[in-house]
Formats: sequence, structure tokens, C-alpha cells
Amino acid sequence: MIKLDPAARRALLDLSHKSRLYLEGNILKVIDPDGDEEFSQYLKDAIELDKSNRRKRLEVTKQIQSQNKDLTAAQEENSKLMGDLQRALTEAEAATRSAEQARNTAEGDLDLLQKRTQFQLVGTIVKVALWVIMGVGVTTTLLYSLALVKGLDTTLLGSTWSNMFSILLTNSFSIIGTIMGVKYATEKGE
Amino acid sequence: MMINSILLVDDENLFHLVFEDACSLLDIALHLQAIDSADKADHLFREWSKDPTARPDCVFVDLNIVGSSFDGIELIRKINNEHGNGCVTGIISSSADKAEIAKAQSAGAQFWIVKSDEIEPRLEAFKSDYLGYKSKKGSFKVYA
Repeated sequence: MIKLDPAARRALLDLSHKSRLYLEGNILKVIDPDGDEEFSQYLKDAIELDKSNRRKRLEVTKQIQSQNKDLTAAQEENSKLMGDLQRALTEAEAATRSAEQARNTAEGDLDLLQKRTQFQLVGTIVKVALWVIMGVGVTTTLLYSLALVKGLDTTLLGSTWSNMFSILLTNSFSIIGTIMGVKYATEKGE
Repeated sequence: MMINSILLVDDENLFHLVFEDACSLLDIALHLQAIDSADKADHLFREWSKDPTARPDCVFVDLNIVGSSFDGIELIRKINNEHGNGCVTGIISSSADKAEIAKAQSAGAQFWIVKSDEIEPRLEAFKSDYLGYKSKKGSFKVYA
């Protein structure tokens, strides 16, 4: 314990009376009033004031500490949510890529199917057209041959056969040309 | 009985204020020094081994001291085994993990105080047991 001389005690007392200014902190706990009633009361008041201030500060500090804990917990929760969101986003991107790939595959398949159908249709048309050409050619040739064998007048039939054959030949080349053109265009499109 | 001086080693600076105010209100210590690193504490103890006048009577150490190269249990082991075992040492932590408590006890810790919003009753109980710790007669105790 430390003892202050009367002048120092008087100065501290005067300061407390004039300015309400007291010593504070643990130093108060080691000052001996040395039998001075007034200074003893000063020490009690100073200690009480110091404790009151510390109590207030302790409450505020505890509140801040509690808020800090809540904020930290919220931050951790946010980080976890951000992580979950990032994972979900990555998964969604992967799903989008997969869906696009599936769509491209489906479109490719559909295109192929359409082309196949077109080719089948063209093939059918060609076949029918060839059969018609061959049928007409064979029929007119048979009629012309029959007329020649029987010795009938072939003036009209001969010119007709000739015309017919040239038309059929032209048409068949036209059909083949068209088919080749379509096939060439399709290949270029791919 | 009031402890002459206490050293608090805790990385949470806000807790320094809480601890200081609680100790002052409960008349636990006359002087309190608070630092935020186990490395700093180790350095201080090296200094105090040369000049022990400023050596604290009691050391409160946090379990996990962020930013330090070793934890609180290792610091207590160092104080007890490398720096002369001249003061009361214990852990003050928000954890109450039994395995860690056992490790602290085997490192030479004399008490374990669980941090909470209501730290004052635990410090008050510690204060009443302090003489036992000082004389090395008090058994290890957990204040939770």
C-alpha cells in the first residue's frame, strides 16, 4: 500500500470537488487513506466511479463480442451458401452443355432422317419415272415393230416413235440431271 | 487475495477488454498484461528468465491462438518445462473438449476456464481457488 502526503491528498480532493475528476484504475486499490476520513471517502467514490465505468464498458464489449460472433456465424453461413450456389451453378452449366450436346445430336439425327426420307422419295420417283419411261418406250417400240412386221403404214407411227423416243431420252437425262443436282447440293450443304 | 500480475495470451483483442474489466471489477489482479500471440509470450518468458522482476504470477492462455506458430497447450508446456514453472498456468477457451483438457493437464495446466458471456462467476470461483494453485496443492479444475 502507498501513502500520499497531505498536500497531494488535498490537491486530489480539490480536483474532485472542482472538476469531478478522480483517479481511476487499479492504482486506487493500493492507496492507503492514512486515517484521512475525507480522502477515504474520495477513494471509495473513485473506486465506485471506476467500477461503474468498467461495468458499462464490459456490457458494451460483451455486446460487441456477441455481435461479432453472430456476424462470424452469418459469414460462415454465407460462405457455405456461396459454395452451394457455385456448385449448383457448375452443375447447371454442365447440364446445359449436356442438353446442348443432346439437342445437337437430336438435330443431327433428325436432319439425317429427313435426308434419308428425301433420298428414299427421290429414289421412288426415279424408279417410277424409269418404269414409265421404259414402259412407254417398250410399248411404242412394240407397236412400231408390229406395224413393220405386218407391213402397215408406218409414216405416222415412225415419226411418232422417233419423237416419243427423243422426248423420253431427253426427259430421262433431265431426271438424272436433276437427281445428280439434288445430290450435289445436299452434299455441299453438309 | 488479489493476484499481483496476470498475463493473458489470446488472439481476440476484444476479449482482452472483457477480461481486463472483469478482473478489475472482481478485484482479481492489480496488473494485467494482454498479448495476442503465443510466440510473443514465449519471447517474453525468455526475457523474464534473465530478469524475473516483471514475470507474471499467473498466465491465462487461449487454446487456439490464431497467427501463432504453436497453440496454448504447447505454450503452457514451454512455460512449465523450458521457462522455470514459476507461475500458475491455465487455459481459457470457448472449447470444453475433453481430449484437449486432458492434453492441457498433462502439459502442466492447473485449470481450464470455459469462455462464455458470463465469465465473471467462473473467474470468481478461480479467484477463491487461486491460493491452492499458487502453492501447487490445488488439483486441476474445469470452470464451466
